[in-house]
Amino acid sequence: MLLRDPFTKALHDARRSLLGWTVAIVAVGAMYASFWPTMQAPEMAEALQAYPEGLLEAFNYSDLTTAAGYLGSAVYGLLIPLLVAVFAIAAGTRAVAGDEEAGTLDLVLAHPVGRARLALLRFAAVAVGLVAIAVLLGLAMLALSGPAQFDGIGVGGFAAMTLHLALFGLTFAALAFAVGAATGRRAAALGAGAGAAVLGYLANSVFPQVEGLTWARELSPFHWYLGGSPLIGGVQPAGALLLLGATALLVAAGTAAFTRRDLAV
Amino acid sequence: MAEPTIETENLVKTYGRNRGLTGLDLRVEPGEVYGFLGPNGAGKSTTIRLLLDLIRPTSGRISVLGADPRRDGVALRRRIGYLAGDFIVDGRQTARELLTYLGNLRGGVPRGRIDELAARLDLDLGRRISGLSKGNRQKVGVVQAFMHDPELLILDEPTSGLDPFLQQEFLSMVRAARADGRTVFMSSHVMSEVQQTADRVGIIREGRLITVARVEELREQAVRRVEVSFADPVTEAEFAALPGVSEVSVTGTTLRCRLDGRADALVKAAAGHTVVGLLSEEPDLEELFFGYYSKEDTRAAA
Repeated sequence: MLLRDPFTKALHDARRSLLGWTVAIVAVGAMYASFWPTMQAPEMAEALQAYPEGLLEAFNYSDLTTAAGYLGSAVYGLLIPLLVAVFAIAAGTRAVAGDEEAGTLDLVLAHPVGRARLALLRFAAVAVGLVAIAVLLGLAMLALSGPAQFDGIGVGGFAAMTLHLALFGLTFAALAFAVGAATGRRAAALGAGAGAAVLGYLANSVFPQVEGLTWARELSPFHWYLGGSPLIGGVQPAGALLLLGATALLVAAGTAAFTRRDLAV
Repeated sequence: MAEPTIETENLVKTYGRNRGLTGLDLRVEPGEVYGFLGPNGAGKSTTIRLLLDLIRPTSGRISVLGADPRRDGVALRRRIGYLAGDFIVDGRQTARELLTYLGNLRGGVPRGRIDELAARLDLDLGRRISGLSKGNRQKVGVVQAFMHDPELLILDEPTSGLDPFLQQEFLSMVRAARADGRTVFMSSHVMSEVQQTADRVGIIREGRLITVARVEELREQAVRRVEVSFADPVTEAEFAALPGVSEVSVTGTTLRCRLDGRADALVKAAAGHTVVGLLSEEPDLEELFFGYYSKEDTRAAA
């Protein structure tokens, strides 16, 4: 029964948005992935060589000569993480702050539901949605790997990439959730999430091009997610643990703050 | 004496630089209907949100049903039904979906109970809440507050948005709850909303309780206009000196006057003549109620 508790209720309420985002993300991923055979044409390689290296790097287009390089750049390197981050930030914001600003949180919390339990169940529902998106995208890539000639990437590579993508999404969801739970303000949660996404992206792809700023990459969730090329290199323990640790820390801090403060009217 | 259902001691809630409550001492006895009256911004909703642990006191003590809302909030809220005056919920669900979910949060409410209340209030459970009028939306709120037969009902301006017929239905539900031994704490900014059901009213202003009175006593103190028709002409002098009677005017066989408090002396004096008709307005407690306000205003201005 989908109306049993705040967890299933949150999934029930998010069903349309979740379906829409899943379809969109899988479709974008599949579309870009299916361009791979045409990307291998010599004309394409020449055309790309005409671009300055810095520009390609800024778009995470590091290596376009292998299937793993192309997928890691064009699919998992740019559009997909940005779409996932947008979904995650929106969902993380909605979990507490969105509901509170809409004035609908009072009623639920006037029921026998603890604050921490409600916040954690809501975040769990967001997490389930993110994992579902990452897994379905991974399955779509796996299904395309024959027809689209993804040579050299095995099931393990897609699985590792899927795990990294899910953890990457969770980190941004956790940030928006935590700021929203601590402040009760939608704008603050969205702003923190969007700001972190933009800075994180720049720190991974643009700042390191400047001499003396290469260290910035180490602080970027984009680097934790993409560094070491999980598609070929498998799960990268450092990156995965950083993403997981940041998520856990943010969720714990946000929930703790939420249980201590006044609800906004 | 039984432990009070709601008790607050020197309750203070400060919002930034605004003072929400400035030392509220409240005592609601088990089984009574308590009307919590005050103008907008006096601290009624602040008090209610504190009772439900939606916000936390700056200082002071709260006890609800013998428990501390801060420590035992979850167990406590199982025994409370709450209705906000502006019942806001996500409109993209049907009333039945919402009520089923809220019932499940309380460990499940039988479907038949929800149907029974909905039928009583003439509420269509199958419609999306966004498609309901404000009054119908408020009915959903009434159903969720009553459906689990809570020991304590906390109602924040409950009848705003209900039409007169539904207000009566709602008030009869409140009376039925009291008859079952439940306690009702009901806030309002209009006396007429609570005077029909409340046993006692407390008047709150600027964050503290000004006065608490039994509604019956208020009725006795209240001013009412009385009109008596006699078979034969009477004189003003006969009535002007009676206790509580003022502004006497006689036109032919009809006496009009203002009556403060008990009607006893007037009735006994009138009984010396042949009384053809007697008309007494329902006492305007509102007037008395605002009497407290204006007294406070004068004191504040002085």
